[in-house]
Amino acid sequence: MRRAWRWLIPLSAIPVLALLAYGFRTNPRDIASPLVGRPAPAFALTAFDGTAVSLEAHRGRVVVVNFWASWCYPACYEEAPVLERAWRTYRDRGLTLIGVDIQDKREAAEKFIRDFGLTFPNAQDLTGKVSVDFGVYGVPETFFLDRRGQIRAKHVGALTDEIFRANVERLLAEPEGKPGPA
Amino acid sequence: MIPEIGRAASLVALVLALGGAVAATAGGRTGRSALVEAAQRAGVGVFVLISFCFALLTYAFLTFDFSVRYVASNTNLGTPFYYRITGVWGALEGSIILWAWMLALYTLIIVLRHRETTREFYPWVLAVMLSVLAFFLLVMTVAASPFERLAPVPADGRGLNPLLEDTGMITHPVALYLGFTGLTVPFAFAIAALVTGRVGDAWITMTRRWTIIAWYFLSLGLLIGGWWSYHVLGWGGYWAWDPVENAAFMPWLAATAFLHSVMIQERRRMLKLWNISLIILSFTLTLFGTFLTRSGIIASVHAFTQGAIGILFLSFLALVVLVALGLVALRWDALRAQGELDSVVSRESAFLLNNVLLIAATFTVFFGTVFPLLSEAVRGVKVSVGAPFFNQVNIPLFLSLIFLMGVGPLIAWRRASTDNLRRNFLWPVALGFLAALVAFGAGVRPTLAVLTFATTVFVSATIALDFGRATRARRRTGERLLPAMGGLLLRHNRRYGGFLVHFGVLVIAVGVTGSHAWSVQTETTLKRGEHAELAGYRVRFDGLSASEESNHAKVTGAFTVSNGRVLDVLRPAKKFYPQQQSPIAAVDYRLGLTEDIYLVLGDFARDGTEATIKLQVNRLVSWIWIGGVVITLGALLAILPEARRPA
Amino acid sequence: MNRNAKFIAGGIVILGALAYMIYAGVTQSAVYFVTPEELQAAPVTGKAYRLGGLVAPGSLTWEPRALDLRFSLTDGKATVPVRHKGTAPDLFGEGRGAVVEGSWTPEGYFKATLIMAKHSEEYKAPHDETGAGYKELIKTLKGEQ
Repeated sequence: MRRAWRWLIPLSAIPVLALLAYGFRTNPRDIASPLVGRPAPAFALTAFDGTAVSLEAHRGRVVVVNFWASWCYPACYEEAPVLERAWRTYRDRGLTLIGVDIQDKREAAEKFIRDFGLTFPNAQDLTGKVSVDFGVYGVPETFFLDRRGQIRAKHVGALTDEIFRANVERLLAEPEGKPGPA
Repeated sequence: MIPEIGRAASLVALVLALGGAVAATAGGRTGRSALVEAAQRAGVGVFVLISFCFALLTYAFLTFDFSVRYVASNTNLGTPFYYRITGVWGALEGSIILWAWMLALYTLIIVLRHRETTREFYPWVLAVMLSVLAFFLLVMTVAASPFERLAPVPADGRGLNPLLEDTGMITHPVALYLGFTGLTVPFAFAIAALVTGRVGDAWITMTRRWTIIAWYFLSLGLLIGGWWSYHVLGWGGYWAWDPVENAAFMPWLAATAFLHSVMIQERRRMLKLWNISLIILSFTLTLFGTFLTRSGIIASVHAFTQGAIGILFLSFLALVVLVALGLVALRWDALRAQGELDSVVSRESAFLLNNVLLIAATFTVFFGTVFPLLSEAVRGVKVSVGAPFFNQVNIPLFLSLIFLMGVGPLIAWRRASTDNLRRNFLWPVALGFLAALVAFGAGVRPTLAVLTFATTVFVSATIALDFGRATRARRRTGERLLPAMGGLLLRHNRRYGGFLVHFGVLVIAVGVTGSHAWSVQTETTLKRGEHAELAGYRVRFDGLSASEESNHAKVTGAFTVSNGRVLDVLRPAKKFYPQQQSPIAAVDYRLGLTEDIYLVLGDFARDGTEATIKLQVNRLVSWIWIGGVVITLGALLAILPEARRPA
Repeated sequence: MNRNAKFIAGGIVILGALAYMIYAGVTQSAVYFVTPEELQAAPVTGKAYRLGGLVAPGSLTWEPRALDLRFSLTDGKATVPVRHKGTAPDLFGEGRGAVVEGSWTPEGYFKATLIMAKHSEEYKAPHDETGAGYKELIKTLKGEQ
């Protein structure tokens, strides 16, 4: 065999490696939500500090509704600081962040809020109606609503700064009253 | 405390491994033994550190230290003691540390035992082992650290995946990883051989036992996986051609090929290139296997989560493949064949055919596994191929391989004369045909089953013939029967160990055939007192009961099984773990030599008056596990130290 | 040279046989991944599909006597009715992801021969922290004794 041909041997592995690398492009894990693109279900709850929390009152602002529970480790523990950071960054830029605590004991939930120093409104969904309306199956789940009250995105699992920022910046950029793509 | 200590220790281990690898390489190039000794000490140091990390993690598990994220994710206050230990390797991060620990253990053994016997190769073997170790330590410190801190510390953990609360799941990863990591050693020697240019038999002789042991653990891991699947998962099967199963099967196929082809190189000095390529392939496939399981590129019910770890693995895989194949290209001339195949009808030929078939099977499994990826890349359509594809293509290959098991050990080297063929194969072939007729006459109709039985009888006959003749020869010198047989086994332990392993494979083949051809199942809903009938068995639903365990609640159904007379009461259950999404079924079964009765509790009415069950009567499945035991005995026999020639 | 030619010829025969077997195997057992939207757009009867989606809340019915399991799979854009004979696997339920294997029937529903429920590792289910749900179940059953 001529000298140079032998180098084909290592090179022949490259197509297979390329195929495997291609596999990273596809993401098999997304579960679509039937609610995306539809108006968010209205709700009115009482926050832990006693104030009233209702979705209607925030029409015109970008609203993020986050469903959590104190017994949800480790995901809710990971995203709580993310949410608090995001709240402090965006609250004066037209964002409303509402945390809905589901299937939880009040004391445990209050401890969770204290431990993480959460300053955005959090309320307990005692009857479970809100989570059912939103089709929440597990925690954490986060819904991104535009200024018109439409659900534009749903994120399942712990949020990161990047994901939060990406969704919110997009929605904040839209002026009120103008429908945008889902 | 623990997270920080653990992270520090793993970081130090990583630095040591890298430094050691560099030192070993430099020592190999320059011949300076001081460098090699430094690398050696690094290897020992890495082992101590990883053992420490492992112990630390186990301690965190045992003391419910939920400040460690990994502990919180895999255990909770109700997890039983036993599963708190085994839960250490129950998820991704723990599996990496287990893998790294085993690699370190093997490195230590090489340092302790092979220093003297492997002179020239030693630095390079060390370099390779430490490099692979460094990679896994890198993954451990950068992408998948088990020592990440969770703050604030939760009051309770999530708990171990209930599917993992089983003895099978405890031993399965350990055995499998011992096999995977074990293949690193012959691979390291092969690289050493390539680098030093000494591509003769030396590296093979030195790693013979390693290869058998690694191969054995792979086999054991696969069998235990099948057993776990059978008795826990509730679908009544033991192998589904799932991508993760295939990922473990491919290295096994390649390793089996390697195991056989090295025998030709030892005898006839041929196939140097082939052997080196095979071990590179086997090792690469183990990396590919862990990559597949952890990268998420192929959807599987088994897979761990995805993330940056996939890219790390693919990069390392690419590095290993390109470097190894590059070395092969470099040493191409030295690897060229010296001997030639004399005849198609010879032992060399049989072994070659064995290899071709095994590689064909490896390729088939690989192709079927990555097919969804391929079809999407090429045609933009996501298509997958399921069990029918794998069975259809692999079954003829495996059947031919079984046939070869009978031919290979007896046929002559170089060129088999007609006389040799007649002497060795006339009776076995005749018996095989007879078996086929008997099977057919007894009502066995599936062609595959008839062929399998015939081939099994053929191979058994060749084994018996060989053993019988050899025993007779020994007895002619006056030895009594049992000592003659025992002496044979010990004196030629490699050969007879191999025979025993082959026999174990036959037993498994019969089990697989039986379970495929004759298993039956039914699904039905029963009211209290009603019964279901299948294959002569009557299963009566007696009622439901509830109980509370330490970390779950259980609903158990009582079913009386009879076939004329009462045989047993089976109690399949549904376990409710509070932290899990849904209940887990606990299968109950009655195992038998010829058939298993298998019962799954599906749905049930809340008041306990009705239950939906899945009932299976599986045939000959126990033979698969029995075959595993036989293979164990064979492997043990094969690795015994060579007996001395008696005076 | 003759000997080598024999080996090469043998090798080609084996390779050819393998290629043929693989080709036959693939064409016979290929299963196409589709989403509900894709299936609804162009359903073909008799073809083997793997349909993935979310089990639409409120769509699940189970008739134990007839072993009749019915539900709908949706991807937010289209909904496909599915029927299966037999119980569903453990991780299966409304509002969760599932992949079913089967074919489209002329009667207008998807006949599933196999249901594979998606197992999510990080995702936590709504769980009754006090355990009242399953505790009540146990109590009911214990009352039976």
